[in-house]
Amino acid sequence: MKYISYIVFAFAILVTASCSKQDNGNLATASPDSGGTGQGGSLARFTIADDYLYVVDDKKLYAYSLANPMSPKLTSTQNIGEDIETIYSFKDKLFIGSQNAMYIYSIANGASPDKLGEASHVRACDPVIANEDVAYVTVRSGTGCGGTINALYVFDITNILSPRQKTVINMEGPWGLGMSGSRLYVCNGSSGMNIYDISNKYYPKLVQQIYDATYYDVIVYNDVLICMVEGGTLLYEIKGDGQIVKMGRISS
Amino acid sequence: MKKIKHAIWLVLPMMVILTSCDPKVNRVEPSPSEVDGWAPVYAKDGTAEVINSVQPREIENGGKIYVKGNTLYQVEVGKGIHVIDITDRNNPTKVRFINVIGAQEMSIKNNNLYTNNVNDLVVVDITNINEVKLLDRVSGVFHLVDPTLPPSPGYFECVDAKQGVVVGWEQKLLHNPVCRKN
Repeated sequence: MKYISYIVFAFAILVTASCSKQDNGNLATASPDSGGTGQGGSLARFTIADDYLYVVDDKKLYAYSLANPMSPKLTSTQNIGEDIETIYSFKDKLFIGSQNAMYIYSIANGASPDKLGEASHVRACDPVIANEDVAYVTVRSGTGCGGTINALYVFDITNILSPRQKTVINMEGPWGLGMSGSRLYVCNGSSGMNIYDISNKYYPKLVQQIYDATYYDVIVYNDVLICMVEGGTLLYEIKGDGQIVKMGRISS
Repeated sequence: MKKIKHAIWLVLPMMVILTSCDPKVNRVEPSPSEVDGWAPVYAKDGTAEVINSVQPREIENGGKIYVKGNTLYQVEVGKGIHVIDITDRNNPTKVRFINVIGAQEMSIKNNNLYTNNVNDLVVVDITNINEVKLLDRVSGVFHLVDPTLPPSPGYFECVDAKQGVVVGWEQKLLHNPVCRKN
């Protein structure tokens, strides 16, 4: 049984290896040299919120106190579910993605997060990002992920105890995602990156697609999009009108 | 003495049978002469825990990304972390590479970098990126790396304990592989 869990977990690692997630939900005020924490992408298994580092492996959530940042202390371990893949923090909440559900935890008590709600979805790989009102989840099927659905799911989470599915947008094979203001950026693997207008947050409207690379994950960092792509990283500048312009590339 | 010799002939075939019955590893015959699969990445005893900052290196298997200030970090899956200066967004530059065997995840608070050294949580002081220091190590909590089986089903190079400790898996073109994960 233990081996089965190892297999499942190793699986999860494989399929998430190239994605990531925001560490700090407070995008608007994040700025270079702000000290504190930085930002990750949407498929991370590590996230820092306030004075705690949260880690998920395939089944469990671990909370480490960083009261002494040089010497983390494990404050709690709890079972979440099966095939956990990602963790994302926004304000006082943690959003945890597994292969068949999204779990929401309160970190009002940072040392020991409390479960608030969950939303099941089709079996697939599933990074999640969220704010107060809405959670965007991508599901990707295929080897290591299971299922047959490739789509962007939108959940109304104004009632955090009971998320409601609002929209499903079919895609080719979505990976990581990021948002800022009225824009949602969804990496669609070898099918490019889709940019949605989310002025109407529950009903994203596709406004632009770019095809400069195979996209796996994205961090929205002030006016820069940092994209994890096949072979390295690609940077874009986000213009005032929302258009994006390709900048530098880091490869090999 | 003679009895022991005889016992070996009984035990050996049994071992073979038992090994081949292991539900998670199929010893397959015949195996394909050439197939994509996985191979274990080994570290010699004592080397797996070395964490240091070295000259930039190639991005071979780029993993998760993380940004703080004008520095972008990209995990080199299983091997460490690329440190990239993005002050000039048109010309990002790799400045250092931090060796961390088994690395997959990272996060930063102040000048403390948290990452996984295989299945240990480690804290690395990155105040001076040219000379990073291991501050702390928390062992035996999470399980991010499986030392016995590759991350996905398929053929793999069987683990050979003589070569060291398994600290990760890499994709590889295999010739006549013997092990397969179901």
